[in-house]
Amino acid sequence: MPITVRIPTPLQKMTNGKAEVECSAGNVRELVDVLEKEFPGMRERLSEGGKIRRFINIYVNDEDIRFMSKEDTALKDGDSISIVPAIAGGGYNRRVRR
Amino acid sequence: MLIINEDDLQTIFANCSREYPNEACGILAGSPGVVEQVYAMTNARPGLASYEMDPEEQFRVMKAIRRSGLGIVGIYHSHPSGPAYPSGIDVERAYWPGTLFPNFPDAAYMIVSLAHPSNPAARTFAISDGQISEVELIVRQA
Ligand SMILES: [Zn+2]
Repeated sequence: MPITVRIPTPLQKMTNGKAEVECSAGNVRELVDVLEKEFPGMRERLSEGGKIRRFINIYVNDEDIRFMSKEDTALKDGDSISIVPAIAGGGYNRRVRR
Repeated sequence: MLIINEDDLQTIFANCSREYPNEACGILAGSPGVVEQVYAMTNARPGLASYEMDPEEQFRVMKAIRRSGLGIVGIYHSHPSGPAYPSGIDVERAYWPGTLFPNFPDAAYMIVSLAHPSNPAARTFAISDGQISEVELIVRQA
């Protein structure tokens, strides 16, 4: 059974509209490489300087990789991966602008 | 257009007032253009000028919304002292990093201004294609 990767809406343009793709990889870093091979440009969308980008959260079977081994988090067949953009923003730092 | 019940809007205002002077944030679930459920979320980076939803909570809630057959129709947060209008950071974070692909293309961004704390004001926007455009907010009385 391969690894299932849930692709977020903003990246589905790169997967021909597919919300889920299947692949094989030994850890998260390899997963990024495998996705890049299949969907060129994916590496840059997901990572920067070999690290998963800030404001992008990756879950392996519901666990945030930041609380596991980050990019080195091991993957095995049957795992379910989710790539989720953080919901974040800001205000006006007490200065009112329009 | 985003339709919301008056009591749901009051739930949002109460959440924003409770977190004041920090920013409050939450997710609006529903069917296209209609809010059916408000999820007040934990601001993992509280401060006078920023919010970031607790990632695990966000993941859990997104899953619950999907399972209930609803979608994310809105994302709200407060501006404790600023206007009910998206800030530069709000716009930047609405897109996938380094792109102009909206993270949540079906979601409207509601901003609650507490510039007058006893009289919160909400406005709603679409942030896409590098543009901010106001979305009409229709409040349905119970
Ligand atoms: Zn804001």
